[in-house]
Amino acid sequence: MSDALEQLLAYKNLGTVIFNEQFNIVEADKRAHEIFVSIGPRLSKGNLLDFFPELIGSEDFLNQIIQQKKSDFHLEFINRSTGDERSTYFNLLVLPDKQPNHGLLILEDATDQALAAQGLNQQRYELYLYKCDPEFRKQFLSESILGNSEAIQLVRETIQKLSRFPSATVLLMGETGSGKNLAARVLHYSSMSADAPFVEINCAALPEHLIESELFGYEKGAFTHAVTAKRGLLEEAQGGTLFLDEIGEMPLSMQAKLLNALETKQFRRLGSTKSIEADIRVIAASNRNLQNEVEEKRFREDLFYRLNVVSMTMPPLRELGADIMIISEYLLKLFNVEFKKDVRGFTEDARHILLGYSWPGNVRELSNCLERAMIFTDQDTLDASALIISGTQARPGKHQTHQWTVPPGGIVLEDVERQLILSALEQSDHNKSKAARLLGLTRDTLRYRLDKYQLS
Amino acid sequence: MASVKKKICLLGSFAVGKTSLIERFVYDRFDEKYLTTIGVKISQKALPPIQVPNSGQMIQHTFLIWDIAALEKFDSAVMNYFRGAAGALVVADLTRPETIGHINEVCDRFKSISPDAIVVVLGNKLDIFKKDKKTLTALKTTAADYETDLILTSAKTGEQVEQAFMNLSQKIGCPQ
Repeated sequence: MSDALEQLLAYKNLGTVIFNEQFNIVEADKRAHEIFVSIGPRLSKGNLLDFFPELIGSEDFLNQIIQQKKSDFHLEFINRSTGDERSTYFNLLVLPDKQPNHGLLILEDATDQALAAQGLNQQRYELYLYKCDPEFRKQFLSESILGNSEAIQLVRETIQKLSRFPSATVLLMGETGSGKNLAARVLHYSSMSADAPFVEINCAALPEHLIESELFGYEKGAFTHAVTAKRGLLEEAQGGTLFLDEIGEMPLSMQAKLLNALETKQFRRLGSTKSIEADIRVIAASNRNLQNEVEEKRFREDLFYRLNVVSMTMPPLRELGADIMIISEYLLKLFNVEFKKDVRGFTEDARHILLGYSWPGNVRELSNCLERAMIFTDQDTLDASALIISGTQARPGKHQTHQWTVPPGGIVLEDVERQLILSALEQSDHNKSKAARLLGLTRDTLRYRLDKYQLS
Repeated sequence: MASVKKKICLLGSFAVGKTSLIERFVYDRFDEKYLTTIGVKISQKALPPIQVPNSGQMIQHTFLIWDIAALEKFDSAVMNYFRGAAGALVVADLTRPETIGHINEVCDRFKSISPDAIVVVLGNKLDIFKKDKKTLTALKTTAADYETDLILTSAKTGEQVEQAFMNLSQKIGCPQ
């Protein structure tokens, strides 16, 4: 290898391996060892093909390179990722070496380039498949409901089943912020073609006198300011879904008209005598207990039964356990992009708080809490002090002060520590991560202490 | 018994299930999540021994299975992915007929680099295939063009996946 080439390779951070015509490694430089250590066993003087099975099958071609009959052989983005979620890619180039009958293999760590290309392709292909492949769309949408808990899996399964019946009316129930709107969208896009309309109306947000004209539309001259005809939301939703959010807030007079449209599958614009067929699926949602509302005479019983063909209740966040962290980490990624920050996760204290709080406002409240924390944090991990819940700064349990007193006979501090670790392990069913949280330690610190007290 | 390592390639459009077929065959697992492949990843699996028809000799193939990203260009780097391959499973998605049209292009490119290699055509995602006759006819015609077999597989359920690799092993036959 010439000095200039050596300098160039060093400058570009490329590793080199020299091998002979039997493909035995003769020499590998320090950088090659460094790159290779992340993708396999340590490079040694063995057969090149044992370390680079990517070259198997191309031996004849490589021999021609060694004999300078061919100029080069290169492979791009060889994926040597292992199962531990760490991605490793490299490029390799084989050239003739200056020594006769020897080859020079140049090794480049291409992980960053490959991951960037992968991200771009992933988006491009997902977009294409989302538009063209209903099965992919169903799967993709199903994954947008985050979490692995039983409750979330049940939601996914229910949506999956309902998606096979695109005309079935569905009533979504659940606390505010529990994801009814998301579930409605997932159900719609899983059931229908990508261009079928999804029309949403928040019954609590429209004044009573406007709901009817918004829903059914009107003809020109139907009322004083009706200077042109207008299609209503039912017409806009033709062939798709009408999502009636906060249906419990709909005035009783309007409930009767909606019921009639649902029963007859027909409606009329205000000021018109012509009926229009309603080819729509209705999804209604409420955070009120509609059964109670019926008993209190605030909601029509007949409409309740008409809407309650199939009902699904979205679980509150506090019942999702570890899913809270999955959702939190997802939100963290979103806010990193939005605020151009690089916050990489949560401290143990912060996790403790997120998992321990009851989240009465559900995901909406969690999202607001994290957004606020992301705006103000200057750290690369979110700490408990950044989390403000219900107007108060969060304090992790370990900061609560207890009055500990030493008995007159004294103690052996290490015995106490040992006992506390055992107690935490017992409480957490020997789950070390949970035990570490209970003790306010990192998992690594707990592991160190388990070794120290020979408890591991 | 002779033991032979053979390079084989999984080829086809994006998201037809190439990686899933390998995951099912090599590790007997399946992940619903779609993650696009970049570059190439090699997996290795020893197949059950087979008897070579003419000689009666028993041989065992160890397949070095190249999971190759769907390729839009055909440059020297891509040629090197194909170089030295003994065979290829060329995969179409039974639910996306447009992926069948892509098979000819991929096979022709592959054959131009490894002319003696064997190809077998796979129609994947059998578990959600609605048995559309037009799709089946198009696939059969494509397989016939290359004088090879068509095998319908499901990486999700595992149906016919091992058979597809075994079929290729049988066709590759004796060591060179």
